[in-house]
Parts: sequence; structure tokens; C-alpha cells
Amino acid sequence: MRKILLLSFLFIISMGASVMAQDRRVTGKVTSSSDGSPLPGVSITLKGSTRGTQTDAIGQYSILVPSSESVLTFSFVGFKTESVVVGVKNKLNISLEDDSQSLNEVVVVGYGTVQKSSLTGNIAKVSSKDIQNVPVNSIEQSIQGKAAGVFIEAGNGKLGQGIKMRIRGSSSVTAGNQPLYVVDGIPIITDSQSNTSSPTNPLADINFNDVESVEVLKDASAAAIYGARASNGVVLITTKQGKVGKTNFELNYYTGISNATGHRDWLNTAEYVELFKEARANAGLSLSGGESRFTRYAVGERERWENPASPKYTSTNWEDQVLVQGDVKQLDLNVRGGNDKTIFYASGGYNKTNGILIKNSFERISGRLNLEHKATEKISLGVNFSLAKTTNNRLSNDNAFSTPMQIVALAPLSPVIDPRTGIPTDTYDGANVTQYYNPLINVDYSSNVTTVYRSIGNVFGKYKILDGLSFRTEYGYDLLIQNEETYYGTETKRNNSTSPNGVGDNRFVQIFNYNTNNFFNYNKTFAEKHAVDATLGMSYQESKRDVTYVEGKAFPSSSYKQIIAAAQKTDGTSEETAFAFLSYFARVNYKLDNRYLLSLSGRVDGSSRFGANSRYGFFPAASAGWVVSEENFMKDQHTLSFLKLRASYGLTGNAEIQNFKSAALFSGDAGYAGVPGQRPSQIANPDLKWETTAQADLGIEFGLLKDRISGEIDVYSKNTTDLLLNVNVPGTTGFKTQLRNTGKLENKGFEFVLNTRNIVGAFNWTTSFNIATNKNKITDLQGQVISGSFLSRAVEGQSIGVFYGPEYAGVDPKNGDALYYKNTEVKDANGNVTGRDRSTTNDINDASYVVIGNPNPKWIGGITNTMNYKGIDLSFSFQGVFGNDIYNGGGKFMSANGDYWDNQTKDQLTRWRKPGDITNVPQARFDSQNGTAESSRYVSDGSYVRLKNVTIGYTLPASIIKKLNLSKVRIYATGQNVFTFTKYKGWDPEVNSDAYSTNVTQGIDFYSAPQAKTFILGVNIGF
Amino acid sequence: MKKRLIYISLLASSLLMGCGNKLDIKPVNDIDASTALTTSGDIEALLVGAYDSMGDGDVLGGNIQRDAELIADNGELSFVGTFTAPREIFRKKLLRDDQQAEDTWFDTYRTINIANNVLANTGVVTAAKKSKVEGEAKFIRGLMYFELIRVYAKTFLDGNPLSNPGVPLVLVPTKQVDGSSFVGRNSVQEVYAQIIKDLTDAEKLLPVSNGFFATKNAAAAILSRVYLMSGDYANARDAADRVIASKVYSLVPGFQDEFNTASNTSEDIFAMQVTAQDGVNSLVTFFASSDKGGRGDIIIEDKHLALYDANDTRNFFYVDGDRFTGKWADPFANVKIARLSEMYLTRAEANFRLGTKVGASPVDDINVVRLRAGVLPASSVTLQSILKERRLELAFEGHWIHDIKRTKTTIIKGTDSYPFNAPNLIFPIPLREINTNNKLVQNEGY
Repeated sequence: MRKILLLSFLFIISMGASVMAQDRRVTGKVTSSSDGSPLPGVSITLKGSTRGTQTDAIGQYSILVPSSESVLTFSFVGFKTESVVVGVKNKLNISLEDDSQSLNEVVVVGYGTVQKSSLTGNIAKVSSKDIQNVPVNSIEQSIQGKAAGVFIEAGNGKLGQGIKMRIRGSSSVTAGNQPLYVVDGIPIITDSQSNTSSPTNPLADINFNDVESVEVLKDASAAAIYGARASNGVVLITTKQGKVGKTNFELNYYTGISNATGHRDWLNTAEYVELFKEARANAGLSLSGGESRFTRYAVGERERWENPASPKYTSTNWEDQVLVQGDVKQLDLNVRGGNDKTIFYASGGYNKTNGILIKNSFERISGRLNLEHKATEKISLGVNFSLAKTTNNRLSNDNAFSTPMQIVALAPLSPVIDPRTGIPTDTYDGANVTQYYNPLINVDYSSNVTTVYRSIGNVFGKYKILDGLSFRTEYGYDLLIQNEETYYGTETKRNNSTSPNGVGDNRFVQIFNYNTNNFFNYNKTFAEKHAVDATLGMSYQESKRDVTYVEGKAFPSSSYKQIIAAAQKTDGTSEETAFAFLSYFARVNYKLDNRYLLSLSGRVDGSSRFGANSRYGFFPAASAGWVVSEENFMKDQHTLSFLKLRASYGLTGNAEIQNFKSAALFSGDAGYAGVPGQRPSQIANPDLKWETTAQADLGIEFGLLKDRISGEIDVYSKNTTDLLLNVNVPGTTGFKTQLRNTGKLENKGFEFVLNTRNIVGAFNWTTSFNIATNKNKITDLQGQVISGSFLSRAVEGQSIGVFYGPEYAGVDPKNGDALYYKNTEVKDANGNVTGRDRSTTNDINDASYVVIGNPNPKWIGGITNTMNYKGIDLSFSFQGVFGNDIYNGGGKFMSANGDYWDNQTKDQLTRWRKPGDITNVPQARFDSQNGTAESSRYVSDGSYVRLKNVTIGYTLPASIIKKLNLSKVRIYATGQNVFTFTKYKGWDPEVNSDAYSTNVTQGIDFYSAPQAKTFILGVNIGF
Repeated sequence: MKKRLIYISLLASSLLMGCGNKLDIKPVNDIDASTALTTSGDIEALLVGAYDSMGDGDVLGGNIQRDAELIADNGELSFVGTFTAPREIFRKKLLRDDQQAEDTWFDTYRTINIANNVLANTGVVTAAKKSKVEGEAKFIRGLMYFELIRVYAKTFLDGNPLSNPGVPLVLVPTKQVDGSSFVGRNSVQEVYAQIIKDLTDAEKLLPVSNGFFATKNAAAAILSRVYLMSGDYANARDAADRVIASKVYSLVPGFQDEFNTASNTSEDIFAMQVTAQDGVNSLVTFFASSDKGGRGDIIIEDKHLALYDANDTRNFFYVDGDRFTGKWADPFANVKIARLSEMYLTRAEANFRLGTKVGASPVDDINVVRLRAGVLPASSVTLQSILKERRLELAFEGHWIHDIKRTKTTIIKGTDSYPFNAPNLIFPIPLREINTNNKLVQNEGY
């Protein structure tokens, strides 16, 4: 059947192509110049016509040409495009030169494309081959470590959760720091839509095997065309388009398993009992009180903790109960093809991941159709359409007793299953057994499912008005419909104590976000030396979000989970909010003699989010480039094959604040005991506007030895002013903060990219390396200290989110007291600070607050090696983060020298026990807070290097696959997060707790799950 | 050709222009302040908002009362929860940035600002309701300042209230943040004067009956507490007597039946309301086991139990792993703020101190309370016995530290002792406030 369809399709194509009488057929083979291997899928087009074809599985093609003067153009991704005059011969074999790191590749910019060599801004491009089939949930994770100056961090190992991305550092204290994401011209929804602080990630709805390229616009020249929302950089995602020629099918499948990247060691029962007996004795508390507690934990059976010889003796490793082996499988099929009038790309994908945390899973089913049709020589139109459904079995946030990782707080004395009930220990039966709620109860007696239907699409039309002048109009939308359903049965009562008979809620979020872009493009070269590329247009975006929510309590039994069965409907709400942006933009790129480049752009942005007094902002940028290697004086040397200097400067804005922040508001949510009430909720600020970032960038791009070595070096400085800042106001006003434009911060950095083709030939080896440093500094907060959670602060003169608190000085060898450095400022006679008092105190209130850590990495980088030999391919990527600190927010519970009943990390065995002991762990004193207050005791270095991805593949020889009637068969194995090299003692150094993650609060580990280490086996089949 | 080009350009240009007014998007969840306070109903709804704010868990929803028990502890209870702030309070070692110190401050002033908004707009209220609305707003403001002054300043009877710093008095609503928003601390004396003025006005303005909202007697009851705290026993006695003499309230026959009630009992003079939809009983959150809807954070030690006689029904505890008070064991029960038995105890103490018998003799008043509790009547009373009765009757209701301070009692906990005026029995002015407003002076010891 498929064959018939294909044949009829081909028939229609051949009918459509006008075959002229004098046409003759040219055939030939296309091979790679490096190793002579045949290249399947090379596009061959007849210049000046729309006629084209593709090479088959063994690199052969056949095309009709009208005359000997006809020119055929051969193009293929990763190779230099070749144009050849046909001549008289009927056989034409072509060898294409490898061009995998070419400076001639096309880079997508806002509202257009530019050749890399002509680019005057800084854009990092990651292409589809780098992100395809990476076993992660969302596209940002797949580019981790591959774009210089782009810091990507998954907060923990939960599936489908939010990912932090910082392009050249944080540019705001209160407003958003995530970049703007644009998919095929549509700014998309990326904010978490979660009802809890455990975020969802709307980017996980995108099947990134459909993505052709990801361009990260980093400097002002590249980003300013996105105006008031470009300060944090812009990520342009371009999906795959059709191709003229034979219809290609590609099937990808992989399957594999995953495990946690790290574990921690915990006290066993003997160690636990010893520690807590000691801790209670040191605090002057009774032994019997401790022993009765042990017995309670040991489900009432003393021998479980006391008698190692007893068959009942229990020593549970709780962590092993929740960190499980996950698995993943993904299948996707795409079809790509087209003729001279219509090209298309269609795909369907399925991903199912069971996480490394018990009861955490993610499933995505997605489909896409991208079509473009040339109606006439002047008019073309098209549609890009995608639909996805994701289903996520989610978990509580890190700061919930019910989140799996908090199970480590339970004493090892308790059995997993309570022998009295046969179900998880502590499942409610009237008296509590464990110290805290047992998260395993949630596994059987709760559900937390989020289902998202997501469609992103656009329709566009393009009209060629004159030669070089065209107009494009597009209308795009992003529709997100999310349903979150949770249910907690009566067995979870200990954790839902006000809902003894079960509680459930159901929340719908619907966002309709639409966008229209309309712009002229003028592209012409005058007198063969003046190349002009100009764009003028407008865009309008409107996004409306509706939320409805209902909560019910008291269910007849755990079989009933919908609110319809709840005897009490205890809560409900409906909300609506919206914002709009109206923008006008213009850009002119001018190129003289292919060597002098100039680009000017400007955008006027108006937004409903800003105050009435400053609704519109203007964001200009200018950049220039000089391609030195094109100069005549460079023609005689061969070392430097390419050299370009570029500089840019421009303004961008940040408008990522809540809607309506400029208005004085009253809220009607202040009812009391069934009587409606209202309250003042916000003070007005009619002057509220975007914050502005001025960015300067200087860059060098170079190629050496015929581009065998190429690279880029950039230095930049980003200065943000008029910070959108939640300014603390005196609480005596009845308000806590007001959003104002006040304060300044800066980011300065350096980026280096190096791509080398180490060995070229039958054995091919390429390396791409990037490293970047960024220094963030808050220069003005008007003297305020903005507090985050724990010791995270924003303070003037420091990087955002530094840990600011008492400095731990270890343990007094005499008595086991925790000590802190006083760090009081020492002043000379003139009142100048000359230093700090480094004497110690055991009273933490006597210790001055100082900077004790910085969660912002000093350096980030990555290196990818790719090797090919015959059909074998091998690639491995390392990713590294250096110089950042982590604050263990759970430290005061889990590494607290027996301060409270929580099980302790193994390192607490080294606690102070007798005078003269030299250790960092204070004497165990029950309930006495000996060294457990927030301090640098819980700060550690979070640097790491990770073997992020290793892939080894084998492509079957053409001779075999041809027999199978296929065009390509590749089998491969991939490992993700294979090894992590770090000094961090926690589960995983890539951590940013979902319960404590804001602009200021970063780098917090709070019972945060480790990442997944995944190994997959996969196959790619083309036919 | 030319014509077509012009048409196309016009069409394209029209697509480029003309959506300017689309940026005027109005909020729909909230409303603009200019339209919020225009009718009598608007102001009445705002007043309800003040009750809602006062019922917040960090205000009279329970945390203020909880902290009055925790900070006074002498070994009769234990705080075993994971929350850092109440633990610091229990240990009498508050850090400068104690979160509860910040939340109580902020949420109480938030309530005051709403009350100030009501008081600034009573002109819009219909004549029939005007004095009731004004009375309720003044009741709330007076009560809130009374809570603040007791938590953040030296107690009235410690040193000189005229010079001891109290809390800032803000009596007008906040329309914008400007220089006038940065206020210093008024003296303890000034704050007490304002509290007495507000509550006295409220007692005059309020009706006797007003559902579960503030009434004439609620104002008098709080006023008796304020006078008692400031050592003005005559006024304390008279205010308590006015409540008792009104005969609006009667003791619930069984002591234990007074507690865990969804609505106000005959004994409740004022209580914060909690329903399944709205409000929180934060005392239950901390004092109750998970079986009773709490976190099981505050357990009652043997030392406390030893205070009760054998058949005292106020010996009201249950065991769920640990021992918990029976007073706070239903998350949807109201939070008792003032009960009639407190009025008897106050009148008895004041009469005893003054040697008077206004309303009844001290021994008769004490026996009203004892009889209801199921213990034998006392034949005579001493100040000590009156205060012990007060301790047993009002345990875990948020009176402990205040009674300790006004009676100048020293807390002995293990080997530590804390005189009534120890600086660590006073909360710090929140570090965030000190950093924000340089007119504020920090308390001793922080």
C-alpha cells in the first residue's frame, strides 16, 4: 500500500515537472572528498529553475537538464555547496568537501537568516545532530555544555521539571532571568504552570527531534530585535522543514535504563542508637526517653534496634527505597520530502520515561506537520503545526515530608513494611511510628498527575513584491491546556491532617498566546559590492491565561478520586490574566566588498505590563565587522584562512514581571467566615517600566590552516540599569515591597570557542571546545539587602545570591562547642575598616554576617569529540561547572550531630566526643542547636566535570542496506551523565532545589534528588 | 503592475499599524484602588478584610498565642517540630532574623493598615452602620497594637514606659510610600494610650450584639486585659465587671465542652472564626497531633500535669505517641481570644489587689471558675492561688508570658533562669525592618 502511495506521489511529481523535449538525462554519484564514501540525501537543484532531486542510498542521482550550459547545485548539510556546469557529458560524479564547521553555514536571526561569516553579533548555534536522541525530557538539557556562555542547570532529578538557563549571567534581581524562547517566530510559553512550588516545564512539550537548530542570541546586536524582552538573551528554535526530492522516512528508536548519579551514606541502626544515646546524655536528657523513642520507631519491638542477633533486627537504608532504576523508551518517525512547489516535514514521536525516583514518570506523544507551498512565482505560503500531549506523574516539592528524598530523615530502626499492618510503616492507624510522614505511603495512596495538551503553530504567507523586496506575514499561536489532578487518600492523613478522609484537587490552566509578525525584507547587492539586507516590520503578541481550581475533601473511599465524590467542596477559584506587546522593528545589514560589515537595528516595544507614564521603550543596537582575511594583503598567506573582528553595542530590555504591577489594587480574596471582604493588595507605581541592559561585545572569529582550526573569542560587558526590583518598604505601611525601577548590576565575561578537525580522512576526528566565564556584580540596590531563603542574599558589591551569614570556625577541642568567627569589622583611628576580628565565639548572634559562598559559577564549559571511521562513529562530551558553591539547606537536619531525631549522614560519626578531639563536627547534643544554625558549615564547593554524553554508533554499509531496501541503518549506544567528577558530598552537584529556587536563592540542596544516569541502545533507520 | 504594488504596500502597511489601544488591559482578578472604596458596602467589605487579616495564622489565628506559651516555657512543654522560628522562640534564643518576628510584625501592621483604611473612609458608610463600623475598626486597631507592644517592647511595668521604646504608631492608611512612611518607635506609654483610646471608643461605639464580630463587651474584655497589663487594677476590674455584669455570657457547664467548637459558645466574648474554606487555627497546627489535624510539634511534659488536682477537668490532655493538650484538637474550631472565665479571674485578682469586692468577692469569683472545672471550692484565696487558677484555666491560650511579665515572675528552666525583664523574652524588631527603616532602634540583645 505504501509503495502504491509513494508511486502515485512520484507520478504526480513527475507530471508536475514540465519535461521539455530537448531535456537530457544526467546521472552520477556524489561522494565525500574526505573518505570517498557515497553521500545519500544530497540535494541537487537545477539553477534558475525549481527542478531538483536527491541522491539515493548509495549516492546516485539522475536529473533532466535542458542544456549543456545548465548549472547543477549540489548541497548537503555538513558539506560545502558545489555548483557545476553540466557540459556535454551525461555522467557527472561529484566529490563534496567536508564543511562541518563551516563559516558559511546559515544562522537564524530574528526575522531572517544571515551567513555566519557576515554575522556581526554573537550567536551560538546548536544543530539537530547534537540534540537528536539525547535521552532527556526537554530541549535545554540536550544543549547543556554545547553553547559557550550558556549556563543550564536542572534543579534535581524529577522528570519534566523546570530548568534554569542563564545566558551571560543573571541580569535581574526581581524580574525574570530566563531567556525568551521563540519557536518558528512565535514567542512561546515557558513559565511553570504548576500549582505548587514544584515547577512544570512547558518546554518539555516539544519533541526536540523535530528541531533543526537552536540559536542562542547572546549580544545586544543579535538580541535587540526582540527589544523589551531580550536582556536575558533569546533562544530561537527552528523546526525541520521539507526538502525537495525523494521522500525520506526516518525512524528512530531507543530504549534504556537509568539510575541515580549519586548516593549518600547514612547511619545504620547501631550508629544511630549510639549517637542519640550520646546526644541525649550530653543534653542532660533521660536515657529512657530515648529508648522509648527507639522502640516507637521500631514498630514497638525493642529487639529490632537493641539485639543484632534477633531475626527482627532492622537497619533500613531508606534512600534505597526511593531511588530506583528508571527506564526510558522513545520512538519517532519522520517523513521529509517535496517537489518544486511543495515541501513538507511530518513527524510523530513517543517518549515514555520512568524516573529514578519512585512514582515519577513522564510521557509525551507528539506530532508535527510543516508545509510550504509556492503558489506562484511571487506567492508562497505555509503552515507549521504541532500537537503534543504530555502526562507527568509528579512529586511533591523538595520541602515536603512526602517528597521521596525526605525519606532519608527516617530512622533506620523502622522496617519498610509495618508487620502489624502489612503496608508501609506509619500508614495511618492512629499512632505515629516514624518521626515524620513516610513518603512511601504516597506511592500507593496518592496520585499527582499533570496532563498537558500543547499546540504550537503558525501560518505564513510571503509575497515577492519586486526583485529583492518581499513581504512576509505570519500568524502564530501557542495553546497550552493543562490539567493537574491530585488525590491523597485517607492513608496519607498524617501528611494531610486537616483532611482525614482524603483530599483531592483539580486545576485547569488554559493559555492562549497568539502572535503576528508582518515585515518587509529587502535584499540586494549593488554593483557587486554593496550588499544590503533590510527588514522593517511589526509584531503584536497577546497572551491570556485562565485558571480554574476546585478542591474537595472527604471521599467515600479511596476508590473515588474525582471531586464529584467529595462530601465537602472546600476550595475553588477562577482567575484570569493577560498581557500584550506591540512592537515595531527595523534592521539594516550592509556589507561592502564582503569584508566591511555594518548592522543597525531598533525596536519600539509597548507593553500592557508597564505604567501609564512609560508604556513604550526604544531598543537600538549597532554592530560592525571587518573580515580581515578578505583583504588583499591577506591573500598571500595561507595560515590564517579566516579572520573577522566584530564589535557591537546596544540596549535590550526585561519585562518579565507579573501583569498589572504598576496599578494600585484591591483584592477581593479577604472574606471572613463566609462574609465577603476585600483588602488593599498593591501600591501604585505609574512610572514602572522595563529594566534596561546596555551590552557591549567585542569578538574575533578566526580560521587557521584552511579552517582546520577555527574559533571565536568574545569579551562582553552587560550593564543593567533601572532594575525592576521589589524594594523593601517599611512593614509599618502594611506592605512589604513595592516594584520599582531602582538599582544596577553588571555582568562581565569572556567566551572562547575552538573547533578543530584534528584528523581528516578515512578516520575523522573533530573537537569542539567552549569555555566561558561570567562575573556578576550588583552595583546598586540603594543599600538594601534582599533576602532569599536560608543565607541567600542580594547585596551591593557582590554577585546575586551570595551566601551571606555567620562563618563557621569548626569545633572547640576543649568542649565540643561549635565556633564561629566573630568577623567584626576592625577599624583604625580614622574609622576606616582595616580588617575583621578573626577570634571565635560559640554564640552565633555574636558572629557578623559575611559572604561565605557564591552559587554563581566562575567558569562553565564543554568539550565534544567526534570520531568517524568507516561506519563507526564515536562522540563524547564533557561538561563542566567551576567555582560555584552549594548550600545544603537540609544540613541542619541531616548533618546536625544528633540535634534531632532525623537520621544523620555518615560523616557525623566523626563528631567531637572527648576533650582534645580535633574535628569539624561538634559534640552531639540533643535539641541544643550546637552548630546547627545556618552558617558556612553547610556551604560546599559545587564544581564538577561530567562525562555528559558518550555515543558509539555503527552505520551499516550501503551494500547491505541497499539489499534491505533501506537508505540508512545505524545502531548506537548512548550514555548520559556517565561519570561525575566532584568534591561535593551530596547526591549531585547539579542542584537547585525546586522548593527554594528564585533569582536570589540559587544553589540550594534541600533533599534534592540526584540526576539520572542513563544508558540507551538505539537505532536510526532511513528508507 | 504599479497599481497592484501600491495596493499590496497599503495592505501590508495596514497590517503593520493600528493596535495601540490593545495595550490597555485591565486586571480582572483584582480591581483598581480608585473603584474599591466608593460605597458603604465597599467599606464594610474592607472591614471584613481586616478581620480576615487579623485571623491570619501569624496574628490571632494562633501564632501570637503559641509564641506567648513557647517563650514562657519552664519545662512544662517541649517544642519538637522542624520549624526554625518557633524553635528559637521556645529556646528563648531568637536570632535577629527570626522569621516569626518578621511575620508577626508585618501581618499585624497589615491588619492595622486595613483598619486605618476603614477609619479614613467612614464618611461613605450609611448612618445606621457608621458607629458600628468605626467601633469595629478601632477595636481591631487597638487589639493589634496591644499584641505588638507586648511582643516587641519592654513590658509596661518594666522601667519607665514614658521613655521605653514601644512600636511605631501609624494611624492613617498608606496611599503611597514616601518620607512619611519611615516612622520611629513611639514610647510604650504613647502606644498604651492609643490602645486605651481605641478600645474605649470601640466600647462606646459598638453594639452589644454583633454576631461573631467585635462587640461592646469584646472591647471591654480586651480593655480589662490592657489595664491589667499596665497595673491599672481598678480599671481592669471595672472593665471585667462590665462584661460579667452585662450577663450576655455564661460559662459552658463542662470545661472541656468550651473547646473545639465550630462557632462561638455562650462563654466566648471574642473568637477568630475558622471554616473549612477560610481561616486557620494555628494553635491546632502546632499543639495537636496529626490525628487531630496538627503537626504534633508541642508536647506537654509531666511537669505541667503535676499542676492539676486529681479531678480537675482542666487536666485535659490526650496521648498520640506524645501527650498533647485537648484544648486545640480540631482544625476547624474557632480560636478563642477572650472567654468569660478570664473576666472572673481578672476581676478577682484586681479586687484582691485593691482590697475591694466590686461585683463579687475574689473568693467567689475564683470559685465560679473552680466549680465549673470540677474542683472543690476554695475557702480563701491569696494572690498566688488566684494566679495559679489563672494559669490552669488559661493554659495554652496565649496568656502565659504576659502574666509572667506583669507579675514580675522569674522563669526557671532547668539550670537557666530568666527574670521577667530579660531581653530575650522580647522579640527583636525584625532585621528586615531595621535594614529598611533607619528610624527604628533595635531592642536590647539583638
